[in-house]
Amino acid sequence: MRSRRDVLKSAVLGGGAGVVAATALGSLGPEAAFATTSGPELEPGTPDPDFVEGRIRSIKDNTLFVLGSNMVFHRIRVVDGTSLWKLGPVPFDQAKPGDGLYARGVRMPDGLLAAESVWLNIVNIKGHITNIKDQTLHLDHNGKEVLCHVVAGKSVAIRSDAPPSADLSMLKVSQHVQILGAWRPDTNEVDIATVFSPH
Amino acid sequence: MHGIAASQPYVIALFLVWAGLMKLLSRRMRAGAGHTALARLAGPARAVPAFRLVALAELAVAAVLLLPPLLPLEAAAAAALCAGFLAYLVYAHVAAPTASCGCLGAHSRPVDLRAFARAAFLLVASLLAIPADPGPPLATLALAEAAVLLALSAELDRHWLIPLRRLLVRLRRPLAAPPPAEVPLATSLHLLYRSPAYCSASAQLTTDVQDTWDEDGLRFVVYGARERTAVFAVPLTGDDPSAVRVSLVREPTGV
Amino acid sequence: MARNPSTDPPADLLGPVQGEVSWFCCGTAWGPCSSTGKGACGTCNSGSLQHAWPNASDACWSITRPDRCGVNLSRRTCGFRHRTTSLCGGASVVTTIADCGPQTDLFCGERSCCGSTCANNRLIDLTPAAYSRIASLSTGLRPCEIATG
Repeated sequence: MRSRRDVLKSAVLGGGAGVVAATALGSLGPEAAFATTSGPELEPGTPDPDFVEGRIRSIKDNTLFVLGSNMVFHRIRVVDGTSLWKLGPVPFDQAKPGDGLYARGVRMPDGLLAAESVWLNIVNIKGHITNIKDQTLHLDHNGKEVLCHVVAGKSVAIRSDAPPSADLSMLKVSQHVQILGAWRPDTNEVDIATVFSPH
Repeated sequence: MHGIAASQPYVIALFLVWAGLMKLLSRRMRAGAGHTALARLAGPARAVPAFRLVALAELAVAAVLLLPPLLPLEAAAAAALCAGFLAYLVYAHVAAPTASCGCLGAHSRPVDLRAFARAAFLLVASLLAIPADPGPPLATLALAEAAVLLALSAELDRHWLIPLRRLLVRLRRPLAAPPPAEVPLATSLHLLYRSPAYCSASAQLTTDVQDTWDEDGLRFVVYGARERTAVFAVPLTGDDPSAVRVSLVREPTGV
Repeated sequence: MARNPSTDPPADLLGPVQGEVSWFCCGTAWGPCSSTGKGACGTCNSGSLQHAWPNASDACWSITRPDRCGVNLSRRTCGFRHRTTSLCGGASVVTTIADCGPQTDLFCGERSCCGSTCANNRLIDLTPAAYSRIASLSTGLRPCEIATG
């Protein structure tokens, strides 16, 4: 029996059973690209019912029990097709009580969020680099120091539209950057996924 | 104690003259007055006049400290001013934690521990200056105190601390690391985001990355796309976004 | 107070403008976001469909200064609606102004691409709820088009 990966690989490389639209190279045809069904437009400025922010209080089976920072409880159901991010794609067992999260999905009539994507501990902060020591950037973010750790094999730096580089040694003290990373819960520390800098 | 009290007026006056002149003459500081805690205290429209008033008080106290004879009352006035600074910093920290203090120059950083330490240092120096001290000022002590105060001044960091840290980074290369054995996923994803394949399929995508693996020089990246699955093949070498392939697949069953 | 020094008409008066979009957190929150507060308008929340705009007031403009990157933007205040459309795929979201930002001048000249389409300079920051409607949060930065909503 072929694995799911084999099926998907043959689909993208040579076409195969179940292929809806594919390309040898380049983009899909317009009928595939725009065959989308957009939901009803939400009232701007209001909370998005299909989005949850908060911290995991407990985990039972495939459900995350989350306390929002506004003290509202949420139940989030994680299924096979749900993507989980924690410094990169991770399996469900990487979700731990205490993790912060953002989740997007479909709100069920009983209030449960059937998650399509869950981002664990993701932060996207901007600030000045105040110092660089031992594979760590010291970032001044809104006047607070955040220690941003370089993770070998994962962290990259992107300078404008140039290709990403795993070598972060071009970063300079006092430079302004945006750091996308994973917060270490209950600390002022972040593991770096990507550093964006204009030059 | 001989000479210690006599040294303090010079140190305090140096900082008061600096603070007063910056508030009166710096165009950058005037432009940034609206973002300081004083603007919160006095109101944005009165921030600049309030700064001028404080500057005049600072320069007046500095003048009486420098002009002999030194009277205990003059040192007490300096102590009162420094106590006022300290109270203002407490107010800034509580009421406007993201605002800068506007103390000795234009910078956007909020009040931090160093600002408190500097104000406390100046207060202690003013209190030390109150007793009558017939001894000559101790130049070494005054210079050491001035150096400590300068080191506590975040306004001057760009002149010495940042260049020093840059030099240390250049010498020690703390971020130097051997190239990773595998291409980081973020590198492949950045190439993917720039590709026409991703652009054409992204409206379909409903999840973030579900799965990824490397095979035959390609990195396969899988996303959910409503009832279907989008699978991308991204070359592990090269930087050509048009080499990325995509396929939309009905989720395989029975595998 | 710093005034808009450029004499050119704002680019967004004539039609949609293209630039980079990123996301930021605000309101009650966890992690490094917890100190952010409710934004310049006092209403900002990560879970609401809102955004930060570089020209929300005189004081805001004096911080963000998009004109230093050659971009002039209209003064639009708290509650004003913008539609942000991803240049990659065409997904869009309408949000209201709830904060001042991004600091465009600190990233002058930065460029993001999608396919053959690129956009320069950071012109808008969305809340996580809004950004995740048009792109994954893990992308961090994308090219977009901004129009009035």
